[in-house]
Formats: sequence, structure tokens, C-alpha cells
Amino acid sequence: MNAVLFLFFQRMRVPLITLITAYAIATLGFTLIPGVDDQGEPWRMSVFEAFYVVSYTGSTIGFGEVPYPFSPAQRLWTIASIYLTVIAWLFAISTIIALLQDPTCRQVIEHARLQRSVRRIKEPFYIVCGYGDAGALLTHALSSRQQRTVVIDSDRNRIDRLIVEDLGASVPAFCMDARVPENLIEAGLQSRWCAGILAVTGSDQTNLKIAINSKLLNHRAPVYARADRRATAANMRSFGTDHVLEPGVEFCRRLRLALTAADTFRLHHWLSSGPHATLPGAEMPPQGRWVLCGYNPLGQALHQTLEDLGVDVTIIDNGAHDAKLPPGSILGRGTEAPTLEEANIHDAQAILALTHDDADNLSILITARELNPELFLAARENAGSNHPLFEAAELDFIGRPSLVVAGLILSQISTPLFQKFIDLIEAEDNEVSARLLERLGHTADAGPPLLRTVRISHRRSPAVARALDDGEEVLLDALCRDPRRRQALLPVVPLLLNRGDESWLCPGPDIALVSGDRILFAGPRSAAAQLDKLLFMDRALNYVRTGEDQPGGQLWRRRPAQSS
Amino acid sequence: MTQTGPGALTDEENGMNLGKVVFGFFVLLALTLNFGFFLGDIDNPDHHNVYELFAALVVGLIATVMKLGERSQIGAVLLASSLVVDLQLIAAAVVWVMAVHVTDVGLTPAVMASIVSLSGGALLANLLSVVLLTLETTSINR
Repeated sequence: MNAVLFLFFQRMRVPLITLITAYAIATLGFTLIPGVDDQGEPWRMSVFEAFYVVSYTGSTIGFGEVPYPFSPAQRLWTIASIYLTVIAWLFAISTIIALLQDPTCRQVIEHARLQRSVRRIKEPFYIVCGYGDAGALLTHALSSRQQRTVVIDSDRNRIDRLIVEDLGASVPAFCMDARVPENLIEAGLQSRWCAGILAVTGSDQTNLKIAINSKLLNHRAPVYARADRRATAANMRSFGTDHVLEPGVEFCRRLRLALTAADTFRLHHWLSSGPHATLPGAEMPPQGRWVLCGYNPLGQALHQTLEDLGVDVTIIDNGAHDAKLPPGSILGRGTEAPTLEEANIHDAQAILALTHDDADNLSILITARELNPELFLAARENAGSNHPLFEAAELDFIGRPSLVVAGLILSQISTPLFQKFIDLIEAEDNEVSARLLERLGHTADAGPPLLRTVRISHRRSPAVARALDDGEEVLLDALCRDPRRRQALLPVVPLLLNRGDESWLCPGPDIALVSGDRILFAGPRSAAAQLDKLLFMDRALNYVRTGEDQPGGQLWRRRPAQSS
Repeated sequence: MTQTGPGALTDEENGMNLGKVVFGFFVLLALTLNFGFFLGDIDNPDHHNVYELFAALVVGLIATVMKLGERSQIGAVLLASSLVVDLQLIAAAVVWVMAVHVTDVGLTPAVMASIVSLSGGALLANLLSVVLLTLETTSINR
């Protein structure tokens, strides 16, 4: 606000001085010019009367000639002072209007307003840097979870798009360069409510700068940074960035899973692809020969992964990348039939289109499908705006780097145990995932299950903690039963139980809970309220444990304990 | 934000700067006019001219506007002292108007004394402005 005020006064200096001078001259003139009073005697205005006349004349109110009719000399001076003061006013007002329309001033006002709204946030909020595909997804998902966000993007158009979108809660959107530390501070980086910084711009260099600035300016707030290049990721990790998200590495990981443990892949992909993810189909990529178009860093990484798995790969590339093409590769764009035929597309099993151009990718796949309708088709989607095209092309798999980044960040934000769960389940057999999918799958139509971490403590689950304090045994089973009818099970699935350094995958119902345990639950949104009842209400917990429905709550139960 | 206008550090800090001349002129003129009005027997209306009060008030207002928008520490104190001057002189003018035009008491020695003492307060604030301005100027040259 101060900046606006200072700018205003700086610009208003000349008009204000002009106005004061005009009034002073007009007032002075009236006191000096002789008039005639009602008796016909010579009369001169006092300073007070003169100022009165100038005041109503200058503001064009015009009460007339007060207190006595003016002499011709006074009328002459009135004409002069009218033009003097009115022009001074016009000058002042036009300066104010020009100031309000001045882009600098509007920017300062807008900035001050945003800063105020950030300061007014009194709940944890995330700073989203970059409102591209990933940033928009994250902002929407977080807003729908009642999480506050602040958005920074240097592109005015994106900020305008955000402003007209309906996000439920107000999202302060700064149009500024997130690489500048000062701007991050303005967006609330050093606020005690800042829960994390999500650096998801399209440029590695920008993400790197945001990460290092955030780490230096507020080491408590976790940083989630996207890194497309391996060198950037290593650099980010070197100064302690909390979560580095590499879409390339993640694609390799999922490809490996898809080829080795199909159900683990389906589970992982479903749980970590944002709130609108759909469960991937059961048909999995074939093991035969693959054709890979585009030998860019992502292509190189995927090629390496496929080779490690013993899959035969033919590469098509136009040679524009620095990396040396492996022997047997075919030079060309892959968008024309001859190139694809050269790569023996007829006896290939799958084709991956990985170029940086969405139109090329689609063209490659459609041409390839015409040549060999049995192909497994997978593409990299570079811009989210092209998604309808990819959907319409009915591909077998669409790799969306922004979605992968956003999905991973969302899972990690909503529960820090998720990463541990994924690491553990990857080491397990495919069977484990298949069973989990079966248990979770019946709600698949309503989107992926909600992940939630429950902690056994007095603050997060008072009912359980009190029961444990009283020396009673609470089994994990109790938290999975319906508090309205204990015979029925809630549709929640405990995925992981963490106790100190130990973690159990898919813990059984007969594990006794201990204070300090953390349990990762997956279940539909509707189950959350029932689970809350069990965690917070003694009566509900007691009912599912013992089958007795005793009246009264905590108050009745505690009173005898206090009196004894 | 860069500082512009009088009183701020500019490239021409050692040479003549028209902005600074005008600024110093108004601050000094406010003091001298104020002093001129203040001078004389405190309760004698003949020693205190209404035009001098009027001029002191107008120049004081102009000096205030010139100090507006200064972001330096010394600029803030200058603005504050200038606002005090305006307040005191406006109070003096209001007392004058009340006595002469509103209540018909006239310029009795008691009324005149209170007007002049109010302008005396303004004089003190004006003096402070000039001292601060001088201090700032010398500190720049050092």
C-alpha cells in the first residue's frame, strides 16, 4: 500500500502545488480589489471572505456575489480566478486519471492487493511456480481439497486464464518472475503458513533457481521441483531439495513395471496420476520388438530401460540430437510410411512416439497403425491442450509428463507415506498388487481412491489414543469397520503401517495398534467421515470394538476417573 | 523504487540542482515568513499582518506538497515537521476567523496572543525543517 501512496504523491506534486498557488493568487486578488458595500461605501474583502468566494467559485458551485454585489473590478477578477482555479483542478484531476491508467501504477496497486491477500491467509498454503499444465492441475486439485495456493507465473495470459477460472477459493495469482528471490518472498515464501513450494515451470533452469532460493530463504518449507534433465536433478539434490520429480525417470520406472509387474504398474499409475486418473486397462505392452521414434533424453532413457529388460528396440530419429545413434537405427522423422517400413513396422509389436512435437507424434502413430493395426501405440504428450487429440486417436498409452509430475506431487503432499508404499510394493510380487487392485477396484468408476495417513496420537486420533491409555487393545480391524453397523466393513484398505523404522505392506486386521503408528489408508471420499468418527468419538470406537453401544461420550467416561 | 525529486540523491549531487534550489527556497521562505509574522509584541494586532500569515500558510502548504512522496528517513521527518507547521498555522487562521468574523470578539490582545503563539509553534517546526535540510546537505557533501 505504501508504494501506491508514494507513487501517488510523487506524481501529484506538481498538480497540487499548481492548485495551491492558483487558490492563493485568487484569494489574494479578492482581498486587494476594492468593492462597494450596500451603503455605497468603499469596502474590501477580508482574507476569510475572499477564501470563501474562491472556494465556491473554484469548485464551480457559484453562490453568486456574496456578501455585497461585486464592483466591475471584482467581477473582472472573478473571471480571472474562475479560469485559474478551474484549469488547476482539471490539471489535478487529469493527472489522477492518467495515474490510475498508468500500467506501472496499476501493477503496483495490483501487487499491493495480492500481497495483502497473501498476508491474510491464515492456514497452510502452497506456492505454485508456473501455471502451465502441471501447475494448473496442481492448483485445481489442491483447491478442490480446500488447500490454499498462491500462483506465480511470468506469463500474463496464463495469469488471466487463472483469474477467470472458477477455483472455489481465492487464489492470489502473481504475474512475475519466480526466479527473483524478492518475488518469492512477496508470494509468501517466508510466511509461517507456507507449507511448500512447487516449482513446476517448463524450464529446468527456472525450477533450479526457485528450488535453491526457497531452500535458502525458508529451509522449513519443503520444495517439490521438477527436473527434466538428469544433471539438473542431481544439482537440486546436492543442496537438499526435498522432492525432485523427474518425469523421464518416472516413465522408465513405469515402463519397467508395465513390462514386469503389470498390476503394480496399474496400481501405481492409478494412485499417482491426479484426481481424474482412470485405472489403466488390463492389456499390457507386448514383449516383442519395439520401435522408438525420437532419440531425445527421454528416448535414450527408455531405450536403456528396454535394453535392460532384454527387449529388442529399433530407433528412428532425425539425428538432431547430440547422442550417437545406436547401430541399426534409421534416420528419418518416422511420420512417413517408408521410414516406418524401413524399421520393419510390420513385425514390430509396439511403437513409442517421443518427439517434442505433438503433431509429429500423432502422425507417426496414425501412420504406423495403418501399416500394422496390431501395434501397441504409446505417445508422449507435450502440451495438455492437445489432450483431446490424443484421446481421439485411441492410443494404448499416453505419457503426459505434466500429469506425472502433478500426480506425484499430489500423492506426496497428501501423504508422505505414499512414496514408501510404492517403494515397498515395487519390491513385491505382482500378486500383491493384483489383490490390492481387486479390493480397491470396486469403486474405480468414481476415480482413484483417496489416500490418507492416520496417525495414532492424542491430536490426530484422540479416541484411539485414549483407549490405548486405558490399557485396552485396539486392533487395526477396528478402524476398518462401519461405526453404524459393526458387521459391515468400511470400504477402506490399509496399504501400509509404519512404526518407527519398520513398515508393513498391507497390514492384516489383527495387528494391535501402538501410539505413534502411522497408517496409510486408501478409500473413497465417502468413507472419510466414518473413519473420522472412529478416530475422534470414543463411543463409535467402543461400539466397533466390543459391540456395546454405551450412551454418553467422553464427558461421562472421564468423570469417575477424575474423582477417583 | 528510485528516489526522484528534491532532497534525493541524484547524479548532480555536487552541482547546482534546480529542484533542490526550489525546495530549499520554499522551506526557507516558509521559515522567514513565519518569523516575520511572529516578530513583534505578542498581543499587539498592529505588529502582525494578516497577509503575512496568509503567505506563511500558502508557502507552508507548498513546502508540504514538495516533501510528499519522499521515501528517505530524513524526508519523512521533513514531511512530519511540515505537517505540524500547516496544522499550527491553520489553527491560527481559524482562531483569527472565529474572533473577527464568527463571534465578533475582535482582535483583542488575548486573541492576538493566542494566534501569535500558535504561529510561534509553527516557527519552531519550520526551524527544525531548515536544520534538517542543512544537515542532509552537509552529509551529502562529506
